[in-house]
Amino acid sequence: MIRAQNVTKYFGGFPALKNISFEVAKGEIIGFLGQNGAGKTTLMRVLTTYLPASAGKVYIAGMDVSRRSLEIRRRVGYLPENPPLYGNMTIREYLKFAARLKDIPHRQQRPHVERVLKDCDLWEARDKVIATLSKGYKQRVGIAQAILHEPELLILDEPTSGLDPAQILQVRRLIKSLEYRRTVILSTHILSEIEQMAQRVLIIKSGEILADSSIENLLKGPGGTSEDGRRVCLRVQGVRLDLEPAIGGIPGIKLARWASENNTHGIDLEMTHPSGDFNELAEKVARAGGRILEIKESKVSLEEVFLQISGNKDLSHSSRA
Amino acid sequence: MGMKRGIMRKIFAIAKKELASHFKSPVAYLILVITISVFNVFFFMILDENREASLRDIFKVMEFMFVFFIPILTMKTFAEEKFTGTMEFLMTTPTSSTAIVLGKYLGSLLFFTLIILATSVYYVMIEFFSSPDRAAILTGYLGIWLEGAFFIAIGILTSSWTRHQVVAAISSYVIVFLVYFSVSFIKYFQGTAESLIRYVCTMTHMENFAAGLLTVTDLVYYLSGILFCLVCTRISIENRLWH
Ligand SMILES: Nc1ncnc2c1ncn2[C@@H]1O[C@H](COP(=O)(O)OP(=O)(O)O)[C@@H](O)[C@H]1O
Ligand SMILES: [Mg+2]
Repeated sequence: MIRAQNVTKYFGGFPALKNISFEVAKGEIIGFLGQNGAGKTTLMRVLTTYLPASAGKVYIAGMDVSRRSLEIRRRVGYLPENPPLYGNMTIREYLKFAARLKDIPHRQQRPHVERVLKDCDLWEARDKVIATLSKGYKQRVGIAQAILHEPELLILDEPTSGLDPAQILQVRRLIKSLEYRRTVILSTHILSEIEQMAQRVLIIKSGEILADSSIENLLKGPGGTSEDGRRVCLRVQGVRLDLEPAIGGIPGIKLARWASENNTHGIDLEMTHPSGDFNELAEKVARAGGRILEIKESKVSLEEVFLQISGNKDLSHSSRA
Repeated sequence: MGMKRGIMRKIFAIAKKELASHFKSPVAYLILVITISVFNVFFFMILDENREASLRDIFKVMEFMFVFFIPILTMKTFAEEKFTGTMEFLMTTPTSSTAIVLGKYLGSLLFFTLIILATSVYYVMIEFFSSPDRAAILTGYLGIWLEGAFFIAIGILTSSWTRHQVVAAISSYVIVFLVYFSVSFIKYFQGTAESLIRYVCTMTHMENFAAGLLTVTDLVYYLSGILFCLVCTRISIENRLWH
């Protein structure tokens, strides 16, 4: 459905996208994940023919976006980061206007508008002036506009940002209902959202793709090292110089992280130990003069994967209210 | 559905939306009301001291008013859409930039035409009181309309440069003042520069229309000016220099 080859976008001298390549198959639900300023919006604007790439090629349904933009726009539905609405129109007026611009044949305009009004749960509010609507409603009008012409490819830029929890659930449910027989791209800077909504994720940072994999594979950890393995967090008291070789020397155990404070150590381990119990570990720690304070097993979270990949500690706190 | 008909439909859809948004804005009403009341005052003043009824002086007043009003009328055309983000909507629907520019131009031109039509009530009154020079009045109206159409094209062009309406209005004031008043600086120039300024200045062309003269040069002047601005607007939104 989409093929992007070495896409680069400069704003003045600033590279917002650096040599990005990826492919999206028909019917995939893919998430662009990255902090604010990573380049998600810019990439989406290139895909929707709104911005021309400085270099590289993008094909949608086999067509070059720089050459056949009007044809591509007929097949793509796009919800920009801020829903692009005319405040002085009613919802129905706006959708009618959108239907005209989107080449929906005259006779089908009304049924199309009525269908999306119902699908997006806007029927009751259809004659309200857009400026008076709440944010959740506005976002749904934005989505209604994007699906009006029944596009094969739906591109949604941060569809849940700025909404309250109830509205987020509503919008997520709406998007889920739209996925049938469609290719969907959505962007977010919220990790849990990707986990819930996408099958595949592109992690973007500073205009580059850091990772491109299915959610499943990503959760197995970077490089797939913890496949079938266990992640264990350990808190130990003792002398690091004695403990580190003792624990690290156990076959089937890999030290992932070691943080020390005085004589207390927080250690993350990856265990593919054949026996799978902690006997040998406890023994070795005791022999090295240490004392185990806590052992607990942990699962790899998308968040950790993300932090490892991007090497940035701020993202987990950056979700907007 | 033919390609051409599709494009015309979209131009009309955009024009209709523009016209409606003018009618929803208090600024446009203010312009309408002020134009008509100023017109009213001058009409009776002129009629009073100059019994020989002519709209010639009133055309001068109208022209002067449009210099001030049209930049206000057109400033939001593109700037507002960029500011609110609806430009991104317009430019990702399968609508060509040409259709967008023409639709927006047509919408503002229609609103302006309605203002002009509202003033024609006075013409009827003149017909009542005296026997005016009908040809001069017709060409005068045509001239005023063309001049307004030209100023609107300038206003739409400057609106496509920025996302701030105030910047758009100031830029179009600068350009409109230059083309309107440039003849006042003519004494500082000679030769080619002088004749160029005489050509660029709207006042010289408007005088002909008001005197009942319809010349090809004047028509070409306005039509080419409008076309030039609209082509530049198209280039400006295509390149999205402003973003
Ligand atoms: N029109 C523009 N002009 C200049 N810089 C821009 C423009 N649009 C985006 N940028 C820059 O490009 C980078 C990526 O922005 P964006 O694509 O909006 O990121 P995201 O959507 O991931 O938050 C940012 O550093 C931003 O400042
Ligand atoms: Mg963004």
